[in-house]
Amino acid sequence: MTKMMPSLVMIAVTATLMGCTQAEAQDPKVTINKNPYPSTYQVLPRQKTILKNATVLTGVGEKLLNADVVMLDGKIIAVGQNLAEDGASVVDATGKWLTPGIIDVHSHLGVYPSPHAESHEDGNEMTNPNTAEVWSEHSVWPQDPGFNRAREGGITTLQILPGSANLIGGRGVTLKNVPSETMQGMKFPQAPYGLKMACGENPKGLYGSRNQLPMTRMGNMAGYRQAFIEATEYKRAWDKYEADYNAGKNVQAPKRDLMLDTLKGVLEGEILIHNHCYKAEEMAMMIDLGKEFNYHSGTFHHAIEAYKIADKLAENGNCAAMWPDWWGFKMEAYDMVLENVAIVDSVKNSCAVVHSDSSVTIQRLNQESAKIMHSANANGFDYKEEHAISWITSNAAKSLGIADKTGSLEVGKNADVVMWNQNPFSVYAKAEQVFIDGAKVFDANDERYQAQSDFLLGQQ
Amino acid sequence: MKKLTQSLLALSVASAMFTTVGVANAESFAITNAKVHTSTEQGVIDNAVIIVNDGVITNVAATDKLTSFEVDSVIDAQGKIVTPGLISSMNILGLVEVSAVADSSDARDKKADITFDASYGYNPKASSIAYTRKGGITRNVVTPAGGEDIFAGQTFVADLSGDWDSITQANNAVVVELGANHEGSRVIYTQQLVNELEKAHKALTKDSKDKEADEPEAADKILNQILQDKKPLVVAVERASDILIVLKLKQQYDLNVVLVGAADAVLVADEIAKAEVPVIIDAMRNLPENFDSLHNHLTNAAKLDAAGVKVILSSLGDSHNVYSLRYSAGTAVANGMDYNAALEAMTVNVAETFNINSGQIAKGKVADIVIWSGDPFEYSSQVLTMFINGEQQSTESRHDKLRQRYTTPSDLPRAYTK
Repeated sequence: MTKMMPSLVMIAVTATLMGCTQAEAQDPKVTINKNPYPSTYQVLPRQKTILKNATVLTGVGEKLLNADVVMLDGKIIAVGQNLAEDGASVVDATGKWLTPGIIDVHSHLGVYPSPHAESHEDGNEMTNPNTAEVWSEHSVWPQDPGFNRAREGGITTLQILPGSANLIGGRGVTLKNVPSETMQGMKFPQAPYGLKMACGENPKGLYGSRNQLPMTRMGNMAGYRQAFIEATEYKRAWDKYEADYNAGKNVQAPKRDLMLDTLKGVLEGEILIHNHCYKAEEMAMMIDLGKEFNYHSGTFHHAIEAYKIADKLAENGNCAAMWPDWWGFKMEAYDMVLENVAIVDSVKNSCAVVHSDSSVTIQRLNQESAKIMHSANANGFDYKEEHAISWITSNAAKSLGIADKTGSLEVGKNADVVMWNQNPFSVYAKAEQVFIDGAKVFDANDERYQAQSDFLLGQQ
Repeated sequence: MKKLTQSLLALSVASAMFTTVGVANAESFAITNAKVHTSTEQGVIDNAVIIVNDGVITNVAATDKLTSFEVDSVIDAQGKIVTPGLISSMNILGLVEVSAVADSSDARDKKADITFDASYGYNPKASSIAYTRKGGITRNVVTPAGGEDIFAGQTFVADLSGDWDSITQANNAVVVELGANHEGSRVIYTQQLVNELEKAHKALTKDSKDKEADEPEAADKILNQILQDKKPLVVAVERASDILIVLKLKQQYDLNVVLVGAADAVLVADEIAKAEVPVIIDAMRNLPENFDSLHNHLTNAAKLDAAGVKVILSSLGDSHNVYSLRYSAGTAVANGMDYNAALEAMTVNVAETFNINSGQIAKGKVADIVIWSGDPFEYSSQVLTMFINGEQQSTESRHDKLRQRYTTPSDLPRAYTK
């Protein structure tokens, strides 16, 4: 008991000191609004719809023949053969293929729109190696004609990321690909934010040429680490404020820092990492960086060399988002193999994603996946459509943290559906009808469902 | 190899050879049992025979019309589709290894002008060349990227064998870039071209009167080739108003003009067809990239072809994935282009425009031939066998080596797997 004595004394002293503050009224608690630009997305007009007698790729590994998909109130309510039509609008999908709406985890539509006018180049805040304070959603031009072209290729959900000039480029936003006059009108409700990070040549090249850090890859690493050291301290300060306030103290809130707000979100697991990172050795370090600061290293984008460390990526739960064949434009893109996605995918617990990073190939991610599937199958793999479709649906949804909402044709999921005129892995495939939350947003055979941006309207 | 005559015996030998034995050194060979897309007026010949002697196609005919022939070897195509080797164009293949590595790229120089002979920069061992063969491409019109001058330089033709002697035609066309000007007015570009043509035209007229004229400068000689020898003048241009100016210049100076880019071409398709000007387009373009290209659309290739324009398909602006050209043909077909027209847009149309003696399965043409596993435009199809100048080619590149390294189990670090 004697050992307790000093403690009791201490407590008494503390209680005395605290007594003073407790008597003081607390100032209003300072909280950070985490959703200051909330989604105003409104679903388009919809009705109960049954798509009948199609070849259905569920997005989670199944291929159903002569199957139906029923959509009601924005959700998929049934998938299977010979389903009841009762009261539904019937679409004869005989000979057609159905897939989940296609998801692109890496797009710059709206922030690097068409036309490529200088006054619309809003995708890359190249003023500091760390611009975690910028949010890509604040740059989105919803009239980018590319959104419509992408929808015509079956894209229902897409993440708009800042560019890769900076070590930490800012927040990405996930959008539903519906026409709207505002970014908020497209914003995917409850989708987590992404944080764009970039490895390798781009940040060190840009800032090195300005004779500032980072000039080297080790400079890159120093830059991320410095940022997360500050973020860790910032989070600690806010956690302490929260704890103290909740304990009844009238404490002063830490000074708000927009850049550190975002990194704190990463440390709290609310913001997912999307890391432009080509090379095996750099991805391995980014995984360790995440462990050093206790956050998950997320999805590696472009990931040209993911095939070299496929085991490591799967083991650590990283998605890799890849092109089928881009290469050769810089050294870090030199070691491309056409089977990169297939090799990554072949490891247990992997998460292989096919992305576009392009306003052109976003229009045919199904065919980008076809390239990979057939190249791989010509070289010893045996991929089927029902599996390969996951690269642009369920795996992409997982990468974005929305797999509970979309990315598969399963009961209860959002009714984001594409009806293709044939096998979507054919070069001749075209999306005929596209549905988002059960509402038809595109119909290749009905001009009323073919959106046109303000920009192109009336051009001669 | 002992001469074979077509017989059951020869065919059985042939089907074994199809998968196992190369015929690279054969002086003559036949491809039998082929579904031949000739890219000629003959169209598609089912169950045909192609005869190749010393690297040149000497005959192609339906099997029942060509019952006897003597060759060193026979390849049974097993009913597969056979096409001319595809011809790509408007890229810097062989002039670049890695785009962002300055000293591995020789396609542009700020001092480049009409005299820029890009063939001096060609490396037949560039890693992208073997890779490009995966797409059934056997020949390429390499096109310099130029510099500050409106003239980007001169194109050259190379086969994709990767051999040291693979350049077949140097300086075979001149490239000029008109249209949108980032720093000033497009007028300056157009006026410079007009002035150069007029100056050269006047000098030629004068020279023909004055036999003792001075030897012309190098640049003037090339302008003279454009005016007198009808050397192709490839004009990179997008907007319809600029296209019409080019057509007018063609008429005025009797030029052999080729349009490239030509986003707006559909607006003036009839005028282009009437002027018999070929158009090189990228069938994948369908976004308004700038105010010169508001009319990019996936249906443009089909529309131009239907209007009677000679269309050439190209993957503009890409030199590392030229292999994928055949998929853009598939996209064009999916958007309304006639199938044979799409094939011609990657074969005979390019050959005719750039004076290349290939691009058709026809007597007298260089034996650039591809046997496909299926529809050449489809992702599911692969090149089975490929010939350039009658010599069988591999489609393996360092990309395959990397794949093999990382998919071969080993107890040692991968670096030991070669």
